[in-house]
Amino acid sequence: MRSRTVQGSVAIAATASLALAACGGAGGPQSGGSSKLTDDKVVIGLLNDQSGVYKDLSGPNSKTAIELAIEDYKAKYGDKAVANTIEVVTADHQNKADIANSKAQEMYDRQKADIILDVPNSAAALAVATQAKNKKKLYINIGAGTTALTGASCNRYTFHWAYNTAVLARGTAGTITKEGGTSWNIVYPDYAFGQDMNKSFTKEVTGAGGSVGESIASPFPSDNFATFITKAGEGNPKVVGSMHAGGDLINFVKQFNQSPLKGKVQLAVGLMFITDIHSLGVDQFAGTQFTDAWYWNFDEQNKKWADRFKQKTNTRPSFAHAANYSAAMNYLEAVQTAGTDDADKVVGTLEGKKINDVFLRNGEIRKADHAVTHDVYLAKVKSSAPEEWDYEQIVKTIPAAEAYGEANPACSMS
Amino acid sequence: MSEFIQYTLQGLAAGGFYALSALGLAVIFGVLGVVNFSHGACYMLGAVISAVLLAELHVGFWVALLVVPILMYGFGVLMERLLVRWLLALDPLYNFLLTFGLTLILVEAVKQRYGVSGLPYEIPAGLGGQVTIGSVNLSVYAIFACVFSVVVCVGVGLALTRTRIGMIVRAATEAPERTRALGINVGRWVTPVFGFGIALAGLAGVLAAPTRAITAEMGSNFIIVLFAVVVIGGLGSILGAVVAGFLVGLVEAYGIAYAPTYAQIVIFVLMALVVLVRPSGLFGREEIA
Amino acid sequence: MSEQMTGKVDVDLAQPSVLSRRGPLRYVMLLGGLAVAVLLPYWIYPPVAMDILCWGLFAISVDLLLGFTGLLSFGHAAFWGGSAYCTGLIATHWGVPFPVAVLGGAVFSMVIAWPIGYLSVRRTGIYFAMVTLAFAQMLYFIANQARALTGGENGLQGIPKSFFAIEPVETDSFYFYYVGAALILLGVLLAWRVVNSPFGRVLTAVRDNPARARALGYDVERYKIKAFVISAGLAGLAGGVFAISHQFASLQELMWTTSGKVVLVTVLGGIGTLWGGLAGAGVVVSLEDYLASSGFEGIGLITGTIFVLIVLLFRHGIWGTGRNVLRRYVLDRRRRTRD
Repeated sequence: MRSRTVQGSVAIAATASLALAACGGAGGPQSGGSSKLTDDKVVIGLLNDQSGVYKDLSGPNSKTAIELAIEDYKAKYGDKAVANTIEVVTADHQNKADIANSKAQEMYDRQKADIILDVPNSAAALAVATQAKNKKKLYINIGAGTTALTGASCNRYTFHWAYNTAVLARGTAGTITKEGGTSWNIVYPDYAFGQDMNKSFTKEVTGAGGSVGESIASPFPSDNFATFITKAGEGNPKVVGSMHAGGDLINFVKQFNQSPLKGKVQLAVGLMFITDIHSLGVDQFAGTQFTDAWYWNFDEQNKKWADRFKQKTNTRPSFAHAANYSAAMNYLEAVQTAGTDDADKVVGTLEGKKINDVFLRNGEIRKADHAVTHDVYLAKVKSSAPEEWDYEQIVKTIPAAEAYGEANPACSMS
Repeated sequence: MSEFIQYTLQGLAAGGFYALSALGLAVIFGVLGVVNFSHGACYMLGAVISAVLLAELHVGFWVALLVVPILMYGFGVLMERLLVRWLLALDPLYNFLLTFGLTLILVEAVKQRYGVSGLPYEIPAGLGGQVTIGSVNLSVYAIFACVFSVVVCVGVGLALTRTRIGMIVRAATEAPERTRALGINVGRWVTPVFGFGIALAGLAGVLAAPTRAITAEMGSNFIIVLFAVVVIGGLGSILGAVVAGFLVGLVEAYGIAYAPTYAQIVIFVLMALVVLVRPSGLFGREEIA
Repeated sequence: MSEQMTGKVDVDLAQPSVLSRRGPLRYVMLLGGLAVAVLLPYWIYPPVAMDILCWGLFAISVDLLLGFTGLLSFGHAAFWGGSAYCTGLIATHWGVPFPVAVLGGAVFSMVIAWPIGYLSVRRTGIYFAMVTLAFAQMLYFIANQARALTGGENGLQGIPKSFFAIEPVETDSFYFYYVGAALILLGVLLAWRVVNSPFGRVLTAVRDNPARARALGYDVERYKIKAFVISAGLAGLAGGVFAISHQFASLQELMWTTSGKVVLVTVLGGIGTLWGGLAGAGVVVSLEDYLASSGFEGIGLITGTIFVLIVLLFRHGIWGTGRNVLRRYVLDRRRRTRD
């Protein structure tokens, strides 16, 4: 029915490269399991925001993280353990879902990517999940927080490696409430992410025995929060929760610090990254509590990796960099175990795998919804930074089971 | 009641800021007939420059308040001489489009140089903390920003009505042909006025630095709100821009307080209503519309 | 200096073609254009080629207003995005073949365009731009709020590409391109018909001298509204195909930046040239696509600079500049043969 040859130049180019690859492959006597690879090489596609708001969080430095993974992998198993070449291709989706979508197709089809990594921005993340399902190729999301990736939009080829909004709520809301922050007012940006965060936080606060007095919706985006902060102070809550992200969060915190609530009420933040603290300055955030998926100065193992990362990039890694490293490393090992880069077989070896590495502690790739569960951390912003990027004090490790709960019931793996 | 007063004060504080930001836009449109899309980017530049001055040269807020507008004036003069000038004779749409392209360049350039996560800035000493009267409280900085904005707006207003230069500029705005017929070289004032408008945008940026996230994108949505402000006030009307600034600040604050879900859209509803009922805006002259 | 203050109108307006109506050169050009459309997915990755055509028609819809009616809409994202969501909802819930869904989306755009047009066309120039922007912002806000329908910022995901169970079209973007392209070309043809009809002449008359058109008995407002609704329908057609091609609709489609981008594409192609929209889209979309994998981080620097240069130096745009060169050549030759 379907004739590939019509695709003219595409098909010719592909055949030519296959032929070339076959010749080259025959030359090397011990090219590991590469005979079972589709094109004698493993191609990892990194698709993220390299020019917009997530540039510092993951961006171009994620490529360095992936290259570190390849380096370590080769050092551990030999240069040609899985393939003669392991290639990284990158693209900048500019936070536009349509570009993410086209680039993902192009990576899978033309650049022969075996896997796509990262993809922050939830609309872009979900668009790529659809492509992974269409093309039957692997996709590990790191940068996006939407639970839809392991819920309604979950599929056999999509994994969610680092965090999601529900985890943040359980970590921050649950822990703070149990430690005495029992009465809350929440301010959330009025769009899907904010509404979800508000719902999960309210659920976790009440679940832990606390109460939420008021949930206040604020427009998104906004740069004037004075009125919301006044409202949030009504009824003398112990904790004010801000569910804002990025620039809005910085606006909120700056204005919170100028309000009478500063010093009287604890500020808890739904979604915050180390890059936010870096941009606003540690003193502005001092004392703020939030959930982090990973922190570079948590223990020796993390620190050692962060030092290597710093050598190459001159900056400290965010959780996303570590997660990209971990995902790339585990993917390569899975290909090696499966002896092929055939996506279905690799998925088979990944599912249910238990992992402990620099990023994942007590990690497990949950078979039911492809969430990668692992320990997360309740962090408190230090009042001053001993060195640049040393901003967080880990208050508590939240065990994987507590942070991730049950598998997402909205997910039906098809 | 105290709640209402609280929201009113907050609305006025925000309004003062809107008024100052829109002022430059109105001045430029009034005299040159240019809708400066890059006003938001210039506002951003003002904030970024103050952050850079603080971080790299340890130049504080008060000095920045003086230095940044001067720098931005220079930038405005360059912009007018090199770019805007060549399109003044054409349909205003062309300068609208030119400044739109310029915005893309400025935003991207700042992103390249200073990253995307934003720059830190602190509340200037002496302006931290709050003032509380009864159950009403406002941050000292918000009061300062509002008072400062009003002073600048009044100053610009006085300069326009009480000085010779102001008179010429006003005459040039209202009746360019007749002004010229009277032997006044209107063209001479075009460049300084444009620079002045850009300086005002930069000043608004400095004022925003202590309370807002300083990122390359900070002007991108702000400019849309500013457009709404000047359209409500009447394009080209300086008084209109100031009044509409306060009006929008108040409407927004009440919207947030009493109808938070719709807070985002009230400004645009207000704008659509004003334009439908009074096409040239509250204080605009009919022929511009 | 005197001309600086007069605000003279000098948009590069639509001009009648210098080529004879049924001359051979015109057919050669039409055939050439068709050939390009057919061969495009061989040169360019098919989904990107599809994007070029969608943005091309979108720009043509803006040009129909800007170049031929003299109205700059800065809120056309409302119709592109409105249709994208509507198309997606129809395709998802009713499972109809996608061209039907796309037509549904285009009709939806026309329906919302009517009241918006009715309220905005009484203003001209920069005011018209602002009012359309305000309406587009409202639609953005509604889509952001109505997350049960639109999925909020996650977008409407996984829109099916059903097409009479013909598998290659449904699964292979290469074959899909040709069906999508047929829909887009239908829109282009419609725009061309409108411009070259008596109705189109009235529009240009309204643009050039509204008072005179009114004096001649034309209901100026009604003509503008009609043009606005037709333009919205074309933008909707483009947005619908775009949504199906990408299998999602996101808030990005309704953002004011999308309205800005399409104006950029239109001006780049050439205001009042109609076909210029396709050329402009070809440049902008393929440039964006190229820069995305180039590792170059300052995409805005490039697009912004191009835009500034175009506005300053090549106000007739790609198509307009080309056309002027051709016109000079043809007139020159005619003069020479006459001598």
